[in-house]
Amino acid sequence: MSFVSVLLFVPLLAFIAIIFKVPARQAALGASLLNLFVSFWIYFQYDPKIQGFQFVQDIRWIQLPGLPEIHYHVGVDGMNLPLILLTTIVTLAAIIVAPEGIKRESEFYSYLLAISLGAIGAFVSLDLFFFYIFHEFALIPTFLLIGIWGSENRQFVSLQITLYLMVGSLVLLVGILALLVLLPQEARTFDIPRLIDYAKAHPLPISKEAVPFAFLLVGFGTLVSLFPFYTWAPAGYAVAPTPAAMLHAGVLKKFGLYGLLRVAIPLLPGGLEHWKSWLYILLLGNILYIGYVTIVQKELTTMLGYSSVMHMGYIFLGLASWNKIGISGVVVLMVAHGLSIALLFALAGEIKDRTGEIKFSELGGLGQRMPFISVAFVLASFASIGVPGLANFTGELLIFFGSWQAQPWITALAIWGIVISAVYQLRAVQSVFFGKLPAHLKDVEDLQGLAKKFPYLLLMASLLIIGMMPSSLLSVIKPTVEHYFSTN
Amino acid sequence: MNTSSLLAWVLLLAPLLSAFMIWAFLKPFPFLSQIVSVGACAISFLIAIGVALGSIHEPVTINWIDIGGLTVQLGMVFDSLSKVMLLVVTGVGLMIHIYSMGYMGEDPGRSRFFAELSLFMLSMLGIVVATNFIMMYLFWELVGVSSYLLIGFWFEKPSAANAATKAFLANRIGDFGFLLGIIMFWTFTGSLMFDPSLSSYFKGHPLVTIMALLLFCGCVGKSAQIPLHVWLPDAMEGPTPVSALIHAATMVAAGVYMLCRIFFVLEQSEQALEVIAWTGGITALVAALTATQQDDIKRILAYSTMSQLGYMVMAVGSSATIAAMFHLCTHAFFKALLFLGAGSILHVLHHEQDIWKMGGLWKKMPLTFLTFFIGTCALAGVPGFSGFYSKDTILEMVGEKNKMLFWLGLFTAGLTAFYMTRLFVLTFMGAPKSEVAEHAHESPFVMGLPMVVLSFFALVGGYSVVGIEKALGTTHEAMSQAAKLNVMILSVLVGLTGVGIGAFAYWNKQKEIVIFPLFKNKFYFDELYELTLLKLQQLLAGVFAWLDEWIIGFGIVRGSAFLVSVGGELLRVFQTGNIRSYAFIFGAGAAAILVFFLISS
Amino acid sequence: MQIGLTHYLTASGILFAIGLAGIILRRDMIIIYMCLEIMLNAANLALVAFSRYNSNLSGQVLVFFVITVAAAEVAVGLALIVALFRVKHSTKAEDITLLKF
Repeated sequence: MSFVSVLLFVPLLAFIAIIFKVPARQAALGASLLNLFVSFWIYFQYDPKIQGFQFVQDIRWIQLPGLPEIHYHVGVDGMNLPLILLTTIVTLAAIIVAPEGIKRESEFYSYLLAISLGAIGAFVSLDLFFFYIFHEFALIPTFLLIGIWGSENRQFVSLQITLYLMVGSLVLLVGILALLVLLPQEARTFDIPRLIDYAKAHPLPISKEAVPFAFLLVGFGTLVSLFPFYTWAPAGYAVAPTPAAMLHAGVLKKFGLYGLLRVAIPLLPGGLEHWKSWLYILLLGNILYIGYVTIVQKELTTMLGYSSVMHMGYIFLGLASWNKIGISGVVVLMVAHGLSIALLFALAGEIKDRTGEIKFSELGGLGQRMPFISVAFVLASFASIGVPGLANFTGELLIFFGSWQAQPWITALAIWGIVISAVYQLRAVQSVFFGKLPAHLKDVEDLQGLAKKFPYLLLMASLLIIGMMPSSLLSVIKPTVEHYFSTN
Repeated sequence: MNTSSLLAWVLLLAPLLSAFMIWAFLKPFPFLSQIVSVGACAISFLIAIGVALGSIHEPVTINWIDIGGLTVQLGMVFDSLSKVMLLVVTGVGLMIHIYSMGYMGEDPGRSRFFAELSLFMLSMLGIVVATNFIMMYLFWELVGVSSYLLIGFWFEKPSAANAATKAFLANRIGDFGFLLGIIMFWTFTGSLMFDPSLSSYFKGHPLVTIMALLLFCGCVGKSAQIPLHVWLPDAMEGPTPVSALIHAATMVAAGVYMLCRIFFVLEQSEQALEVIAWTGGITALVAALTATQQDDIKRILAYSTMSQLGYMVMAVGSSATIAAMFHLCTHAFFKALLFLGAGSILHVLHHEQDIWKMGGLWKKMPLTFLTFFIGTCALAGVPGFSGFYSKDTILEMVGEKNKMLFWLGLFTAGLTAFYMTRLFVLTFMGAPKSEVAEHAHESPFVMGLPMVVLSFFALVGGYSVVGIEKALGTTHEAMSQAAKLNVMILSVLVGLTGVGIGAFAYWNKQKEIVIFPLFKNKFYFDELYELTLLKLQQLLAGVFAWLDEWIIGFGIVRGSAFLVSVGGELLRVFQTGNIRSYAFIFGAGAAAILVFFLISS
Repeated sequence: MQIGLTHYLTASGILFAIGLAGIILRRDMIIIYMCLEIMLNAANLALVAFSRYNSNLSGQVLVFFVITVAAAEVAVGLALIVALFRVKHSTKAEDITLLKF
């Protein structure tokens, strides 16, 4: 059995253990810790010199009438390996951050594990069927987590996010089917590498690719909160329990981007060509429009939700450029954004729990009472606005350089986003941590003890290591990306 | 990798390790933190000396990013420019580190202070040794970060928090242009190195002016040139050693250093140089005029810093990079000295910053008085002091290229002499004007020592024996001795006039003699920005937020949900739940279909 | 007079119409149920008639299926009616409109 499958079995075993009344938190912790080690093992064993997928496992699963064979086909290359690391790191952090003694504890932790399992499954699947199903599998617990453990207004928000993402997934499904129908009978398969090879060998006319690509773009785009399909995100993250927000914003949301990167654009390059000008308009909507909307938000978590919508614009910018530099930047920024937004949501949750407030107007001066949290928050803020030495900088830099080759004017407009993001992020830092300490916050406590600080330190260290040594990721990404573009 | 190459990296690693160690482990031990930080700075200083003497060589470069034609290397360049700058940064830095041990002695957060100071040293040294644009941009942003952290060091003060945010944002706007310029450079040349031979790629290209101006944006932000200068005066909210090190001696000068580094780009466009020179000149004048009417001792010094930076930028714009760097070095000494003096005064006056509440300090603080006097003379351009030589060089070089700017510079020199005299007279001379000034006493020795060392350099830094100018490159011989002499005489005259007027007008005065609202209110830049740019951005954000909430969020998204539910409401009328009516509709429907098919066949 | 296919089909049609009319018009669930059975048997009659005249046995086989289903339906349906009667104390169709929103 491939180690990649181990990544999927570990959470599954933890599920079973939880059913058999093993304490949920311990089981989840153990599973995510084990998964972290396994993913690092894979990372260190991965040989960048070998082209194509590694740790492959391919089992014929089922043949439905009229459909191609469905395989359980998993494997890693330079594009999904970083995302797997992201998933295991954020999962561990999210599970430690999760409050102890929450109501319906075993369900809560099972759902967290399910999101993680689904995300890993979607990232490693090389079969379109499993690729789609794993993501759907991860979405359902997200809805439940929001609906059961969310803060006020959770029923409404949960319903909204469910409808929104389900419609997105449906559009996506239509796109996938339209894509398959487009191919001649003998070329129809669910196997992604074979599809990509076929698409490279037999490029379709642009006119035929336009419609399926539009469905895929809107479908994947909705899952990643592409403008204007984003309204679920800020509301959802504001209400979601902290670990769910971390896992969804940090990890699961990247599925849509990964889908564009792995499936939509390689299979339908002409579709991207056809819709490129629209995509640029939409992503500017993400960066500039949402950027300005973020500036005037009045609550910390809502603001973070909007900011994560905004940062997606950069990743779309890199995808639209579709060249070596841009795509490498996309992968790095996906990881970096996942880490930084998870850290920010975790800290926001901590602040919410400790002060009972989430409005900027009610907070202030917490730097005096919470030195650790404020240092972590400032670091995460700097990461998210792309300060050098932290992971996001590398990703944004690569995307800007790559995108400039494709579209200088749009890129110049998009770079204005670094100013906008600095405005809202620093404003948040200032109004939460700086200034006078209001009387009702006189007694809040900082995080105490290494065990509590561990998830934050883990995420901060990841951001710093990737930021200072981008080669840690780029050495893996580069051969895959170069191989892809060299044979094109 | 040989030892000398390793040693070169220690230059950056020492402050990095110090910052990390203090943050991670030494937080509860302020004294240890001080030692570590000062030690790290001393190590960097020693290595800088090694570099300057030529015994430490440039290390092997490291490939930081290398993908698809984008290569970013981490390396070090040790040429005359960076050697001098290294000595200045580490030397002044070390003095200010030592000074801070005294100045911050009582502050509960001084571990954090020293960690941030070390972070700053790392980033500043990174800028100095950078071999390429991205490496410079990387550390460029990092100095912005450390400056943000240090301005906001007393973050519980709302004014400090505001100033920190303002500084970072103003710098970010500059960096926006800088980054665009860098990317343009890369598209022209395919390289990011500071390599003058690359200029052949864009020589005579119509876009080169735009590229040069975009790169200049970085300097406008960092070196506080108009129109992005508004952050520098506010940055004085930070602790005084920070003002001395970052917002006077080194970081703000990084913009000028950067211009000198990339001069091979700038010189390709006459128009760009023209713009740069005028920006510098106008900044120098406006800042000097503003400084004449300020009451806060640190703000006066801040505006004077801005003004002097304007001089340097003007020099670069007149192709006089060596003169600019020369002035940068002497300015670093005397301005750091002045700030340390001001800090020493604030330290004993319990942070009373209003010069109208000082006076008579010469008797109570003789050492501060003496060193401050030397600094004032150097800045005012009194012959024999370092500032005189460097400013004179700039005026000469500017005069060669642009007569208007020369007169503007000369007038500014007079203003400088005037406002420094005003400051000096009000602070040290006459009778004490407040309770605290009565009870002043001399600062401790750790604070005095750096001031003495710096005043030595402020005194002699201009002489060719010290050799700053020579180290930067061969001195220019473009002008005839006679013309040189003319400039010198003119500037001495103007300087003395300024000193004379200042001394005469403010001797023993209790309040401002004449008020120019325009100067007093800093040319209304803050108000202007408040009214135009900020309002505009807020309006835009407000409109977008409204659109977001009502059109997209409520209208489209909730609207489509509403349509669905209205449709449901309409259709439910037909759902009576009565099985017989269902049966009737069913039967009627079946009959209708039957009839339809019968007729159509 | 020769009894032909038309007669059977007419009879079947009349039966079906009676059944449908009963379902629509009658109120008592049990009567409705019996009308339903009439309709099923009308269909059976048509099936058998076609089968006979087309010399194809499939029709008759289908009749057995229909009878089986009808029997099962009666079993379940009557049980439901009884259960409903216990709750509602009525077998009137218009009293049982739980399916409307």
